This record gives sequence, structure tokens and C-alpha cells, in this order.
Amino acid sequence: MAEPVLQVKSLVKYFGALCATDHVSLDVRAGEIHALIGPNGAGKTSLVAQLSGLLASDSGQVVFLGQDIGALSAHQRVRLGLVRSFQITRLFKSFTVRDNVALAVQARTGNPYSFWRPVAAERALHDEAESILQDIGLAERADELAQNLSHGEQRVLEVGLAMATAPKLLLLDEPMAGTGPEESQRIVDLIDGLKNRVAILLVEHDMDAVFRLADRISVMVNGAVIACGEPQAIRSDPMVIAAYLGEEHSA
Amino acid sequence: MNTTASPTMTKPWAWPVLIALAIGLGWLMQAQGQNFYLSMLSRMMIYGLAACSLNLILGYGGLVSFGHAAFVGIGAYTVGILITEGVPSGWIGFPLAMLVSALFAALIGAISLRTRGVYFIMITLAFAQMVYYLVNSVKAYGGDEGLNIRMRSDFGFGINLKNDLAFYYLVLVCLVLSLWFMHRLMHSRFGRVVLAQRDDDVRTEALGFAVYRYQLVLFVLAGAIGGLSGALMVNQQNYVNPNLMHWTQSGVLMVMVILGGVGTLAGGLWGALLLLTLEDVFAEYTVHWQFYVGWILLAVVLMAPKGLAGLFQRRAKGVQHG
Amino acid sequence: MTWILFLEQSLNGLQFGLMLFLLASGLTLVFGIMDMINLAHGALYMVGAFLAAWLVNLTQSFLWGVLLAVPLTAVFGMVLESTLLRTLYRRDHMSQVLATFALILIINEAVRMIWGTDLALSAPAALSGPVELLPGLKYPSYRLVIIGVGLALALFLYLVVTQTRMGAWVRAGASNRDMAMAMGINIQRLFTLVFGLGAAMCAVAGAMLGPLLAVQVGMGESILILAFVVIVIGGIGSIWGAFVGSLLVGFVDTFGRTLLPHLFREIFPPQVAATAGPAAASIMVYLLMAVVLFIRPQGLFSRRA
Repeated sequence: MAEPVLQVKSLVKYFGALCATDHVSLDVRAGEIHALIGPNGAGKTSLVAQLSGLLASDSGQVVFLGQDIGALSAHQRVRLGLVRSFQITRLFKSFTVRDNVALAVQARTGNPYSFWRPVAAERALHDEAESILQDIGLAERADELAQNLSHGEQRVLEVGLAMATAPKLLLLDEPMAGTGPEESQRIVDLIDGLKNRVAILLVEHDMDAVFRLADRISVMVNGAVIACGEPQAIRSDPMVIAAYLGEEHSA
Repeated sequence: MNTTASPTMTKPWAWPVLIALAIGLGWLMQAQGQNFYLSMLSRMMIYGLAACSLNLILGYGGLVSFGHAAFVGIGAYTVGILITEGVPSGWIGFPLAMLVSALFAALIGAISLRTRGVYFIMITLAFAQMVYYLVNSVKAYGGDEGLNIRMRSDFGFGINLKNDLAFYYLVLVCLVLSLWFMHRLMHSRFGRVVLAQRDDDVRTEALGFAVYRYQLVLFVLAGAIGGLSGALMVNQQNYVNPNLMHWTQSGVLMVMVILGGVGTLAGGLWGALLLLTLEDVFAEYTVHWQFYVGWILLAVVLMAPKGLAGLFQRRAKGVQHG
Repeated sequence: MTWILFLEQSLNGLQFGLMLFLLASGLTLVFGIMDMINLAHGALYMVGAFLAAWLVNLTQSFLWGVLLAVPLTAVFGMVLESTLLRTLYRRDHMSQVLATFALILIINEAVRMIWGTDLALSAPAALSGPVELLPGLKYPSYRLVIIGVGLALALFLYLVVTQTRMGAWVRAGASNRDMAMAMGINIQRLFTLVFGLGAAMCAVAGAMLGPLLAVQVGMGESILILAFVVIVIGGIGSIWGAFVGSLLVGFVDTFGRTLLPHLFREIFPPQVAATAGPAAASIMVYLLMAVVLFIRPQGLFSRRA
């Protein structure tokens, strides 16, 4: 079997006395969708922050495509193909939807410090942005300012931005946070479409989506991974049900 | 093609018309013997250039630097010292002024940009004060009394900068070239990243851009153009004083930027024209003109956050930029 | 440097540091709780000094002049806060900087219009002589009084912040404003009070330093910078940090100005020393700040959540 795209080895992070990440180990294989679930405060977002390079871990190792990336800064990890989306929408509010995506494309093509030629004249850049917009279903909103989109549309764009960087591994941090059923479905379809093309670590609360999309699921409680396996196994794991799913199932 | 966050939304014919008007105006004033007003206009345009250079980092970059006046002063002193030491050539003085300012900006920026928020403001202020005190104590070049220069920069080719019109045209050329450069810069890929990090620097980094590097380059460019305005300033006044670098002067530049329109290409210019005109007008009537200017400034900040240019700027799809 | 000189300079440093603390404490609280940059804080110091000078002249009593100037300045500060500054809390830092910068212009000119560019203020005659603290160490009694007042006020502030309920609210607000509001603390009123207290402290500093530094328009701008340096070093929102920072800055500045030129004259040729000495002395404080920020970017005692 090929080496996993991402290997997290015994990652540890303390905030004062609070252990946010308790010797977390997991891996994400090429093309799989690996979901990460757990109650609020379990440490999922801290983990994503450490993997993306925004937060320094206390100990442990993160290996991406066979390379130890612990010392790499956030933007360096993105250049290698490790990309995240944000739980709380972070878009370029004063940019149009098209220009948001164009910027993501710009990041991985052409001269990064080009300071004389107008960006608006770059046909190839905007064509690619256009096609990505088609893929994520925001083509008709292309000229709208990002800040004018509905919350759900913004979440779609949020995921779209991450996709536009042509990642090898996508860290999706609660992409469906606060979306209605229609947008949730859209995002689920988007992620589904990426299956087998991009490795994905999906942090989510939406159980329907998780069980529909995930190839494997890891469960985090109080900073530690208490179970990892295929959806069916996780669903019926007594420890998981007790710690987390119990609340969902009784609903 | 619709572009976003477009730094200038003015009609394409506006600038050529403005420039033509400026050229004509200068010639007209000279012909009418209104050299006083000619030289006053030059002074306003020089401040306008300084303010526009601050706008690069403040308006476009979103970096509140309180030390920008230092770069203006450094440019001024570079030319002033060169002339004093017998190197009056403008072809050496001006580029050198920009280079020295750029170097200081690189040093100050490299350290300051590692901080955020109010700490960034404070540390840029501190560095500016350091430069101020340093220059203040160099008695050889005037110290706190300032430095007088006997002549203006010499550009050869029979150009005599003592002639008010010739000087006015020099200032105009520098201003137009700088604005053109800034326009191209902000519409380029580089400019996009700058605007993006102003909206959200974390997201920009998360797309794979080394935000710090972009900020630093922007800081250096702003410093260099600031230095250019300083070179012009010392020529205009035949004098330079360390007070030019005091943090309150940075405040004045900020005021010009906000009055004219933060984040617009020529906002600094309009703000400088407005503020200096207000000062001159009020000064005619009262020695306490700062009082009235202060109230106007306060009103603008409270009621028109984007400054005056923001009011006239075409708004995309009728949405208020917050 | 002789022992006598060292002790004398230490006392000078302490005196200056304590006065700086009076300014810095108010500033750090405003910044810490309301996240507002108030450039006009120095203007309050100036207003206090001018009011004191005017009232001393009116009442022919230094004590009465100062005692009356303080509450007047406090009221001025509170009015300013509840009318104007309050609208700036939710604005971004740049707007606050510009608005308070505009305030400096307005207040400076207003003072000039009312009292002129400067006012004379001298220390009370009773305190014009030196006191012999140790054999050979004569120190101006007025400066000793400043130290005394400074220490007393620092102690007073410490007691208010740690022992009173208002102090507890202030500490809560300084570390987490939203939490404090959620707990039902009337942050608006608390804030006006804190601002008034800060203004009062500024007035004391202005009045007491007036005889030493000259009461003139613009006196606020130079000391404001130092106050900001102090709170950046000490950590925004921390009164203890402001105290430590003030003393640090007070000592570094005082010793820098006396020691460094001496030192430079020993090491460098007179030509260089004449320039480099004073230059280095002036920038010492900023160097100190740069070093602190480099090691601990949030300041020494920051309590920001």
C-alpha cells in the first residue's frame, strides 16, 4: 500500500494546564475522505491549526508526503499542497467572488511578485477561476462582492477557495457550519466529487454528511483519538456511542 | 472585465485631463507673475506625494505606521547633506535619497512587521523617534536648528530649479510618475496580494503567500517614494529641520490620507491640497487655525470614514464599503 | 561616577518614573479595557498643568492650586469620555488615532486661546531649598515631595485596584471585557470613572512636573510617547506592568542622559562623543522598548486574554 499522504504521530499541545492535543496519531491515505468527529472542545480545531502550521505543537511529528513538515510555516505547507478551509468564514470581503478564486489560482501559477502587468489582463488566470466557479456552482455570482453572498454561499466559496489551490490534502474545518439543508447538500456533493482525487481530512458535526462521505472516521474526545475505523464500525462502537454518538442517536 | 477592490474607479480620461490642466495652470501662473501661488502649489503637491506614499502602506496595506515622516526626513537630509558637501547633482541626490530611505525602511520594516496591531504602531513610532533624535544631535548638519542649503539640486541641461515654474514641473513629473507606478503596482499580482492581506492576512497566508515578504516590499517602496518627496521638500524650502521627522508629522500625513480618502490612489494628494489650503485660509483669519482644522478632521473621521474621495468614488453595486 | 551622583540620579530616575506612572496607569487601563488608543491623554496632562498654574496664581497657594486643578481635570476628562471618546470604542485603531490626534490639535489651540502659549508655575517657596539626605547628598526638597506624592498615589491605586470592588471590576474588564460585560458590570459607567481617575492622575503629574519642565502648549506630546513606550514595555492592561515599566523607563532615561555622554567621552574622540553621546541618550528608551518587544512581544506583564 502506498504511504499515507498525511501521518500525524503522537502530537501533543498544552494550553497552560489544559491538554488540547493528547498524543494524537492518525493518517490520511491518498484519495480517501477521513472524517474527524467529536464533541465541542475535543480539540479538533486546535489539531487543524497545528497541521496547517498556524499553531506550534509541543511535541510529536507531522509527516506530509513523506516529509516532516514540523518546521515549515503555514504558507510553506500550502505550497507543498496541504491546504485548509476555515470554520469561521475567512474570505476577501472586498473582492468579487471571481477575484477571490483568482487569487487562489494566482498563488500557484506564474510570477508571485509581478508588479507591473495588470492582473485583469491575465486571460488564463481568469479562465481557470471561471471553471472553478462552475465546478462549485457559483458562476452566476462571479461578479458579486464576497461580502454580499449569503452565509451558505460564503461557506461554499470558503471550500472553493481551498480547492482552487490544487491541494494534495484538504483540511476541511466544519465546512457546513451554519448552513441550511440546500447549501449543506451542495457542499457534500462538492466533497463527494473530490473523492479519489484529493485526500481529505474532514472535521464535521453533521453526522449525515459524515457517514455518507467518509471512508474512515476518527473520533476525538478531550484531546485524544479514542477510535478510528470504517463508518459502520464506528457507528456501533460502544465507547464512541457513550462518549459522543449517544447524544446524536437518542435525538 | 470587472475587477474588484479596484484602487481607482475614476474615468480613464480624468487623469490626462488633470495633468494637462496642471501643466497649463503652472504656465499660466508664471505668465501672470503669480510665483507665490506657484510655489505654494508645488509645496502642496510635495506633501501630496508624501501622503500618497503613506497611503501605500496605510490605505492599501492596512498597516498603521506612525513613523512614515522619518522616511521623508531621511530623503530630505540625504539631499541636503549632499548639497552641503558639494554634490549638488540631482541625478545623484534624488536616487540616493530614495535608496537611503528604502534602506532605512527595509531595516525598520523587517523588525516592525514581525509585530501586530498596536505594537506595530508603537514600534514604527519608536523607530521614527530614534531617527529624529539621531538627526537632532548631529550638530555638523544643523542639529535642532536645521540645515540650510545654499542652492537647489542641479539637474543640468540648462534646467534652473530656482525658477519656480521649472521646479513646479519637476514636482509634477515626480508626482505623476510615482502615482503611475503605484497605479500599476496595485493593479498587478503584487497589488492583489496586498489588498487581500488587508482584508484577511491569515487567509492570504493560507493560500500560500508569504505575507510578511509582501508587506516588507510594500514598506520599502513606500519608504522610497517618501524619500523622493523629502528630496523635493528640502529643495522647495532650501531648508530641512529634524521636526520634519517628528511623530506628529507622521500624524499630519495620516490626516491628509484620511481627509482625501484612505485606499484611493490620489487620496493623499487631495487630502494634502485640502488640509494645506484649509491651513492657509484659516491662518489668514486667525492664528488658531489648528483649532478649526482639528474640528473638521474630527468631523471627517466620525462621519466619513473613507474620507472625501470615498464619497465620490463609484460604489460597486450600491454597496457601502464599511 | 561618584556614589553621590549615582544616588542623586537614582532619585531623579525614581521621580521621573513615578510621574510617568501617573500617566501610564490611566493610559494602560483605557487601552486594556476599551482597546482604545488615546493620543489625547497627553493633552489631559497639559490641561492639568495649565489649570494648576492658573489656579495657583489665582489662589496664591500652590497646594490649593493643585488640589483644585485635579478634580477639574477629572471632570473634563469624564465629559470628554462620555461625549466623544465613547463613540470611538467600536471603531478601528486608525480612526481612534486620527480622532484623538484631532483632539490634540483642538485642545492645544483651545488652551493657547485661553491662557496663551505658556504659563509660569513655580514650586512653593517652602520647598525651594535642598534637604540633606546623607552627608554630602543634598537633594531638592520639591523633588522629594514629588517622589512622596508619586509613591502615595501608586499605593492608593494599588489599594483601589486590589481591595475595592471597582478595582475588581477593572481587573476583570482589563483581562476580558466581554466576560465582564456578561457578568453584568456596567462597563460604560465604570469606564467613565476610570477615565476620570486617569485624568486626575495626569493632572497631578502635570501640576507637579510643571515647575520642573515648564508649563507650555505641546508639553503633552513629548511625554505621551514615553507613556506609550511604558505601557508597551509593561504590557497593555497591566497596572503593575505600567509601574515596572515607568520605573524602568525613568531610570534608563535619566541614567542614559547622564551616564552615556560621560561614557562616550571616555571612549570616543571628543568630536564623535559630542554628537553620539546625546543621540544615544535619547534613543536609549526606544532601544529598551525594541529589546523588550523582541523578547516578549506582548510586553512584560500582559494579561490580555
